[in-house]
Amino acid sequence: MNTDLLIVALLAGAANWAFRALPILLRTDRMALGGWLERFLSATGPAAIATLFVGSILPALTPDLIRLLPLITGVSAVLGGWLATRSVALATLAGAIAHGATVWMIG
Amino acid sequence: MISQRSALLSGFSASLPIAMGYFPISFSFGVAATQGGFSVIEAFSLSLIIYAGASQFLALALLTSGAPLLVSAFTLIAMNLRHVLYGPALMREAGDKASTRHAWAWAFGLTDEVFGQALGALARGQKFSEPYMFGLGIGAYASWLSGTAVGAFAGGGALDGWPAISAGLGFMLPALFLALLLSILSRRQLPVIAIAGAVTVAATLVISATSGILLGMLAGAVTGVLRR
Repeated sequence: MNTDLLIVALLAGAANWAFRALPILLRTDRMALGGWLERFLSATGPAAIATLFVGSILPALTPDLIRLLPLITGVSAVLGGWLATRSVALATLAGAIAHGATVWMIG
Repeated sequence: MISQRSALLSGFSASLPIAMGYFPISFSFGVAATQGGFSVIEAFSLSLIIYAGASQFLALALLTSGAPLLVSAFTLIAMNLRHVLYGPALMREAGDKASTRHAWAWAFGLTDEVFGQALGALARGQKFSEPYMFGLGIGAYASWLSGTAVGAFAGGGALDGWPAISAGLGFMLPALFLALLLSILSRRQLPVIAIAGAVTVAATLVISATSGILLGMLAGAVTGVLRR
């Protein structure tokens, strides 16, 4: 077992537990947070997800329309899947299936 | 006792759509980990200990690129900071009398999707219960761990002859992020999302992909502070 990997995993895992459990155990929802910290925290989630989405599709962007097609159909299927089902899991699956099917059709 | 068991089963059954989405993602994580030179045990340990999809993929990228240990750990921790908000948001809906006796255990499973599903159940009028949270969390966690194990055992070369499946699995993560983005999208969050996206593009092009993610996130959060 790689020691660096284990240390990184334990630090990230402990932080994950703390982020997910401590606010519940401390019932921070009862505290009136208010102010800039509340705005910062409430914007962190959407900012993180937007960043991760943009960062994950950037390497696939290309001026070649044929090579771009799987990305276009995949993104369209996620949008369509979300509008039809309002389910994160099903919209994700729809996007992955459309992306894979387009790659298969292009050959 | 019976109602606790029924709440547990109800949570488990509500986890099925999440489990269906998690399995292929964690499978592709297992494959990516072995492709990156990690062993089956190492891939499984990352899923067992971190249990956060995007962080785990980023962990692979950082560790294989030789990023310093503390930089890697800080990046992964920063990436999951948003989870701080999930507990308070959920408990606010659950009400003052909701028990949190076993939250030290079930809250580890409060991922984006588990949070969304639990919040949705409360919004539909379901009463908060810890057994339900355990059922929901266990189903999703079991799927995540088994997908990782199967992917890691299948190995890096498993999908070489199946380019379409490989491409579909590779798109699972961008698709998940987009679906999550749609699930939280509101007029109020649009400036945050737009600035985060634009700064990510600019910083990735000018500096690096890792800097793009960190700076994009920070710029979006600062936009939230400046917003009136």
